[in-house]
Amino acid sequence: MKDFAYTRDFKSRALIFAILLAVSIIVVIPYVWMLSNSFKTTIETLTDPMHIIPQEFTLDGYIKVLTKSPFFHWLGNSVFITCFNTIVILFTSTLVGYLFARFRFKGRDFLFAMLMFTMMVPAQVTMITTFIIIDDIGLYNSVWALIIPSFVNVFGIYLCKQYCEEIPRELIESARIDGAGDFAIYWRIVIPQIRPAIGALAIFTFMEYWNDYLNPLIYLSSTEKMTLPLALSYFSTQHTTDLSATMAASALIMIPAAVVFIIFQKQFIKGLSMTGMK
Amino acid sequence: MRGGRDALRALQVPGDRTREQIRKVIKLKTSRKFLLLILIPIFIEALVFLIIPILGTLGISFLNYNPLNHSADFVGLDNYRELLDDPDAVKAFKNTIVFTVVAVALNIVISLAVATLISQMKSNKTRSFFRMIVFLPCMAPMVASAVVWGRSIFNTKIGLVNQIIEAFGGEGVAWTGDPHYVMFSVIVFTLWADLGYNIILYSAGIDGIPGEVYEAAELDHAGGWNKFFHITLPLLGRTTTFVVLMTLISYFQMFAQFSVLLFKDGPQNSGLVLTSYIYENAFIYKEMGYAAALSVVLFLLILIVSLVQQRINKVDWEY
Repeated sequence: MKDFAYTRDFKSRALIFAILLAVSIIVVIPYVWMLSNSFKTTIETLTDPMHIIPQEFTLDGYIKVLTKSPFFHWLGNSVFITCFNTIVILFTSTLVGYLFARFRFKGRDFLFAMLMFTMMVPAQVTMITTFIIIDDIGLYNSVWALIIPSFVNVFGIYLCKQYCEEIPRELIESARIDGAGDFAIYWRIVIPQIRPAIGALAIFTFMEYWNDYLNPLIYLSSTEKMTLPLALSYFSTQHTTDLSATMAASALIMIPAAVVFIIFQKQFIKGLSMTGMK
Repeated sequence: MRGGRDALRALQVPGDRTREQIRKVIKLKTSRKFLLLILIPIFIEALVFLIIPILGTLGISFLNYNPLNHSADFVGLDNYRELLDDPDAVKAFKNTIVFTVVAVALNIVISLAVATLISQMKSNKTRSFFRMIVFLPCMAPMVASAVVWGRSIFNTKIGLVNQIIEAFGGEGVAWTGDPHYVMFSVIVFTLWADLGYNIILYSAGIDGIPGEVYEAAELDHAGGWNKFFHITLPLLGRTTTFVVLMTLISYFQMFAQFSVLLFKDGPQNSGLVLTSYIYENAFIYKEMGYAAALSVVLFLLILIVSLVQQRINKVDWEY
C-alpha cells in the first residue's frame, strides 16, 4: 500500500538491514553478557570474562539468590504492590474519567483543571510532604506506603475521559431507557467501549510500579519489605565480588518482564503509540 | 445535570409517560448519590496526596525544617539564597542540564533515524521484529539494567567495554569512576535503556503519513534524503513536539541510573543530579526545608522548559 515510502534500491535496503542488525546486536549484548556471567562460576567471571559460553556451567548463582536471600518475599511484595495499584487505578481512572466526560456538576471544570495542573508537578516536589504525611500515619516501612498515595492517577483519568467523550450518546441513553442504573451503565456500556484505553493504562501503571525505585527507596527500610528493583540494588552492593550471583538476580528480574513483553508486544506497542498520539 | 436531561429526552419516546416520569425522578437521585459516592473519596485522596503535598512542599521551602533537630522556623527565602552559594547545588544543576540537553538531543536524533530505517523495511514482520528488539530494554526495570551495565559492561577490570578495548591493544578506563567519563557512561546507558519508547512513537508517526505524499514526491524524482527532509521530517512535527517535551521532562527527573551506576554520585560529584541531591537532603540529612526549595526550583525549571517549548512550537506553526 505504502510502497512509495520505501527505498527501491536493493543495495541500500541491504545496507539499512545491516545497520539495523548491528543496532539490534548492541541492544541484545548486555542481556547475553548477563546470562553468560550468571551461569559461570565466580572464579571464571573474574579470570575469563570474554568467553560467552561458560567453561564450567553452573547454577550456583541462581541457587544463591533463591536460597540465601528472601527473593520470593521481594517478588511477593512487587507483585502485591503492582497488582493492587494497577487494579485500583484502572477502577478509579475509568470511573472518574467517565464522570468528567458524561456528567455535569458544580465545580467540574475547576476540579479537572486542578487535577491536570498536578500532572505538571514533578514527583520530587510531592514526595517530601507525602513522606511526612505517610510517616505521621505510621506507614513508614510498610508496603501500604506505596499503595495508599497512588489511588488517583491523573494521567489515567485524562486518558479515560478522552475515550469516554467518544462514546455515542445514544448508547447510554438507550441503556437508561431500559432502566439501567448508573453503575450498570458504567460497567456494561462504558467499560467495553473504552477497552483500548484500559489496556494501555494497565500496561503503563503496571510498568510504573513494577519498575519504581525512588519510592521504595524512600519508604522501605527493612530487607524483607523491599520490592525487586530496590532489593536488586541492595543485593548487588552486598555481593560486590560475586558477579555470578548478581547477574543471576538481575536475570531473574529481567527475564520475566522480557517474556511478558514478547507475548503481549502487539498490545504494548499499540497502547504506547495510541497514547502518544492522543 | 446531563443525566437528567437524557432522561427527559427519553420521555419523548412514546410509551407509559407517568412511569417514565417516576423513573426519571429516581434516576436523578441515584445519579447524585452515585456522583457523590465516587467524587468525595477521590477528592479527599487527591487533596491529601496531590494538592496538600504540592502546597506543603512550597510552604516547607520557607522553613528550616529538619525533623532530626526539631527545627521548623520560618526563614523566608534563605533556603533559596543558600542554594546559590552551595557548590554542590550548582554542580547538581549543571550536571542535570548537561545530561538532559545532550541525552535528549542524541535520543531524538537516534530514535528518529532508527525509526526511519525500520520503516524502510518492506515486510511487516521485519519491521515489528526490529521494533520489538529495540523496545526490549524499556521493559526491564532500569535498576536491573543499570546493575548489569555497571557490573559487567562498564566494570574496569572485567567489563565488556574495557575487554574489547584491551583486545585491540588500547588501555581501559574507569567508565563510572573517572570524572571525565562519568557523564558519558550514564548517557550511553540511558540511551540504551530508553530509546525504545521514542522509536515506537516515531514509528507510529511515520506510519501515519499517507503514502500518496511519497507517491507524489516519487513522480518528481525525489531521492531518499530528499523525501526524508522534505516530507517525513516536517510531517512528524507534532510527534516531535510531543516526544521532545516528554523526554525533557522525564530526563530532568532521572535518578535510578545515577544512583545505581555511580558510587556516591561519582568522583567529585561528577554525576550528581538534582533528584539525587533532593533525595539526599530530604531523606538522608533530613534537611527537608532545603530539599523542598531545591524541588521547587526543579519544578520551575521544568515549567519554563515546557512553556518555552510550547512557544517555539507556536512560532513554528504560524510559520
